Amino acid sequence: MRAVRTVVRYLYGEPFAAVGVAIYAVIVTMALFAPLIAPYDPRAILRDGHRIARYLPISAEHWLGTTAGGRDVLSQLIYGARAALEVGLTAAVAVVAIGTLLGLLAGYLGGWVDKLVTRFADVVLGLPFLPFMLVLAALTTPGTRVVIVTVALLLWPNTARVIRSQVLSLRERAWVEAARVTGCTTGRIMFVHVLPQVLPLAALYGSVAIGWAILAEAAASFLGFGDPDSISWGVMLQDAYASQALGRGAWNWFTPPGLAIVLMVLAGFLISRGSEKLLFPRLAES
Amino acid sequence: MARLAAERLGHLLLVLWVVASLTFLLFRLMPGDPTLNFLSPTFTDETRAALLKGFGLDKPLWEQYIIYLAQLLHGQFGQSFLQNQPVSQILWDALPNTIVLTLVSLCLAYAFGIVAGAFLAFHRGRVVEAAAIPGALATRAAPEFWLGMLLLALFAFHLGWFPTGGAVSPGGTLGSLGNRLLSGDFWWHLCLPALTLTLFLQGLPLLLMRATMLEVLNDEFIVMARMKGLSRWSIVMRHAARNALLPVVTAFALGLGASIGGNVVIETVFAWPGIGRVLVQAVQGADYPVAQGAFIVIAFVLVVMNTVADLAYAFLDPRVSVGARR
Amino acid sequence: MRRLLLTVAMTALSGFAASAEDAGDAVRPITLLTQPQAAAPQEYQAAEIIADAWRKLGLTVNVRPLAGQQFNQVIWYERQRWDATTWQMVGRPERSDPDELTYNLFVSANAANGYDFVGYNNPAYDKLAQEQREELNIDKRRALIMQAQELINHDQPYGFEVHPKNVVAYNKTVWDSKSFVSQAGIGIRNTWSWLSIAPLGVQKDVILNSTAPPTNLNPFNIPGGQGSWATEIVWDRLMRVGPDGLPQPWAAEKVERPDTLTVNLTLRKGMKWSDGQPVTLEDAVFSLEAPGYGDKAPMYKPFVGNIASVTITGPDTLSIKLKRPDAAFLVSSLSKLNLAPKHVWAAIFDDLKNKPQTAESIQEEHPVSSGPFRIVRANLNQEIVLEASPDHWSHPKINRWIMRIMPNVEASVGALKSGEINFLSDYTGDPQLLRDLAKSSPNIEVSEALDIGFKFIAFNERRPPFDNLAFRQAISAVIDRQLLAEDAWGGAAEPANSWISPALGVWHAKGIEDRLPGGNFAAAQKILKDAGYVLVGGALHYPAGVKETTAAFQ
Repeated sequence: MRAVRTVVRYLYGEPFAAVGVAIYAVIVTMALFAPLIAPYDPRAILRDGHRIARYLPISAEHWLGTTAGGRDVLSQLIYGARAALEVGLTAAVAVVAIGTLLGLLAGYLGGWVDKLVTRFADVVLGLPFLPFMLVLAALTTPGTRVVIVTVALLLWPNTARVIRSQVLSLRERAWVEAARVTGCTTGRIMFVHVLPQVLPLAALYGSVAIGWAILAEAAASFLGFGDPDSISWGVMLQDAYASQALGRGAWNWFTPPGLAIVLMVLAGFLISRGSEKLLFPRLAES
Repeated sequence: MARLAAERLGHLLLVLWVVASLTFLLFRLMPGDPTLNFLSPTFTDETRAALLKGFGLDKPLWEQYIIYLAQLLHGQFGQSFLQNQPVSQILWDALPNTIVLTLVSLCLAYAFGIVAGAFLAFHRGRVVEAAAIPGALATRAAPEFWLGMLLLALFAFHLGWFPTGGAVSPGGTLGSLGNRLLSGDFWWHLCLPALTLTLFLQGLPLLLMRATMLEVLNDEFIVMARMKGLSRWSIVMRHAARNALLPVVTAFALGLGASIGGNVVIETVFAWPGIGRVLVQAVQGADYPVAQGAFIVIAFVLVVMNTVADLAYAFLDPRVSVGARR
Repeated sequence: MRRLLLTVAMTALSGFAASAEDAGDAVRPITLLTQPQAAAPQEYQAAEIIADAWRKLGLTVNVRPLAGQQFNQVIWYERQRWDATTWQMVGRPERSDPDELTYNLFVSANAANGYDFVGYNNPAYDKLAQEQREELNIDKRRALIMQAQELINHDQPYGFEVHPKNVVAYNKTVWDSKSFVSQAGIGIRNTWSWLSIAPLGVQKDVILNSTAPPTNLNPFNIPGGQGSWATEIVWDRLMRVGPDGLPQPWAAEKVERPDTLTVNLTLRKGMKWSDGQPVTLEDAVFSLEAPGYGDKAPMYKPFVGNIASVTITGPDTLSIKLKRPDAAFLVSSLSKLNLAPKHVWAAIFDDLKNKPQTAESIQEEHPVSSGPFRIVRANLNQEIVLEASPDHWSHPKINRWIMRIMPNVEASVGALKSGEINFLSDYTGDPQLLRDLAKSSPNIEVSEALDIGFKFIAFNERRPPFDNLAFRQAISAVIDRQLLAEDAWGGAAEPANSWISPALGVWHAKGIEDRLPGGNFAAAQKILKDAGYVLVGGALHYPAGVKETTAAFQ
């Protein structure tokens, strides 16, 4: 209860983070309650009399109009939140898990483990993100799985480095020395004592990783390597692009998914920026 | 310092070798039959087998690996399946276009970002900051291709101020690099893609510059200088800016490496004939010598720029030693 | 929810819901393959609409896009694997004669490796196809072609969709609209136009676009549609298909058929290759024989397969003897084979004898040709530049013919507006956009012409239930062709139920689109019911006793 009050008080004083949290709240709500909120089935080809309901403008029946394929834009936008969260959260958890684990091992165990992990990180940092994802998508079947795997495989080094630094400094603390002296195993010290201390920092990187994952999925979809069965904002943009929505002036179709992506990624940035103050109060003095 | 450079160089070569080998493995696992690019329903099985032999795809994997490494060391990447010319020629043609686009955009982005970031640090706590920071973050949060398409729609389609794609008007040629740089047509075609990329990239140096300037502005010697009575502006420009530039320069080097690969979407939207677009088309067409070559070149640039960033950091901040920095 | 209600309602109304004992196994989920949306937006949308219609019949359908060469790999080389796919046959001038498609698409001999990739096998059809090939009397031949169309209509090996229209646009301040030539089944974008268009102003180069780069420019390779626009004017042929769809003498100035097995040609005098050498009878003989050398030119080999011998009979005449009568020879062979210089290609063919490559993959650095245009430079991924051959007898009025490769449809429209190109030749986008553009812009003129080709859904007859006639008739009946033409193709198409387009008025079976067995949804359901299929809980099941033995597409 006290933790909740701390967070709320913090948010009050930290407007950026508050906005970020609010955006996430809206998106999570959209995702959870999509079947209730969305006016239509996002994949249903709607009819306008006998013909397909293509490119209908904004109206009372279709608040954001329809696509070239006769589908309701607003319903797609709402359901898109599900794909966004799915990709974002899965990728973020993967990045944080891998990065934290490797950073922890490298930082605490040192020696050859540290060298190995750091060399490995250097190699991974040498692999360009989008090209790798492209090639991997061509290798397997295109889709969100490829995006998540690419994000997990390529974006952990930065997290690992930072975690490693923090673990290095934590390692010298008195309480760790005390735990060692009382006979705790290395593993126990690492995972029970040190790990919880670095988790907030890891979570920070996680919130940014969500954003990168969504942008990666949008780019993959745009290049034609997205998952055609899913309704994600990236696929909506690719659909609009392929159907020449810009030439048609169908801003109602093309702008909302892009804006949704911007807002969701932005939210991650805002939260992580604001969080610096919460996690590292000394920085607030600057 | 020399020892540091030598160590980093050795490290660089190791990483390059691992990346090259990974790329080799990655591409050998690619699905699809490259001979299908000469698809003809009347091909017999013997013809297809013979084609495979001609491309050296029938040898055992380890033998192909040795050949591959040997060719790489000579700067050869094999022969394109689709275009009947050496891959290195295709890459050599396309790479300068990407580098020009990236360098121009980065320089503009950083020039703008540095000045704007310093300005914002200077005006801490004012209204402009509350708007500018989310604004900068938002440009970073937007999908690049979406930004590109909006700009394309407005400035090229609607207003007709800029061409809609490519690097040269119809009927003209892209000559040597020197010719391109001197050609007004080339620069005109460069405008929109560069503008898009600049818009996307400026957020980082802006925020970085602002953050580091804020730190530095509190440093003791700045306080000392203020006590000496120097004007605020001269303090900012002379002392703070110089110290704050270190992380920005590092970020620039890292940004150059990352952008080379990240340009894939921009080059696709604007049909800019750079190495990113070569990669996309090669992957789509299963022209895997070209795809492999493009991937390696992009990865190599990235790795080299990472090393350059490390060295630049060490060079500019000699207080930091090798071990402690990492 | 709505979907569930709909299914229940339909089941109740149709009254052929049944209990599980009366029915065989459920039909497995069907996968409808198609190109990715960005590559072929109309086909993709059509596939979605058709899949929707099939779902109303009780099938589970997945629309699955496959990219480029993987698509070709599966459809062409893994013929046991797929259920149904969108596909097309492109309109070419040589297909103005129905023989090529009539024979290749449905004759059972072509099922294993050739164009009968759906595996259609009907001896009655084989006989018809062979007869029409050898029937030189045009009325009799016409009757045979009509019979063939009725037979295919009955058997429905394809679910025909539409005959597309070629939609092109050009800048009418640059080009005199009246100087374009319209060719039956092609439209204004054809060789005759390139030879006769007159510039109105300073701009004397035609600059057009292509969404895909050609593989190479070579007289022994048949490139995709766009590449052939270039090769058709770079390399000459003995005859050419005229604007009326009938063959005209070209490099051969006189063509006679004294009997069913002989074709006598008189070669035009004074023709020169682009390297200055004269075009000789030996070159013509070589061009007719080389595609038959081993397997070095597999794309053209079928078109010389019927040639028994070529003999020089005079200073400019030669005589071709055929193995069997061939009604379409003048169009499908003499208007198709390119004239290639013997002094260049004989050596190349010799060299290739011991190599695995074919002549198709050779790209000359400075291609030697004798056509109205010649290659100045070809950067296949960016642009192809041709210039008018100064001595060619057809005297083109333009200076250069430039094709820009622009994969992005929006960019190509923008290029037309801005003047970067002055002929929009390859437009795969929404035709309404072009029509709107023409209305709002005084410079732009749009031209739409019904194409020789067609789009269709291919049913793989090797896999049940597509091997069952009633099933094919039913799933073809529910394809709303008018809707596809209006919505998926934006009005730039007409419903199709034959491989012969209405643009070929002489050969097309009039009204065949309306003679579809079934013809609507209720009728399709009846066909299925009469054949024993049953709906169990909204899902389509085989007739009683039939098991589903085929694995679903992975």
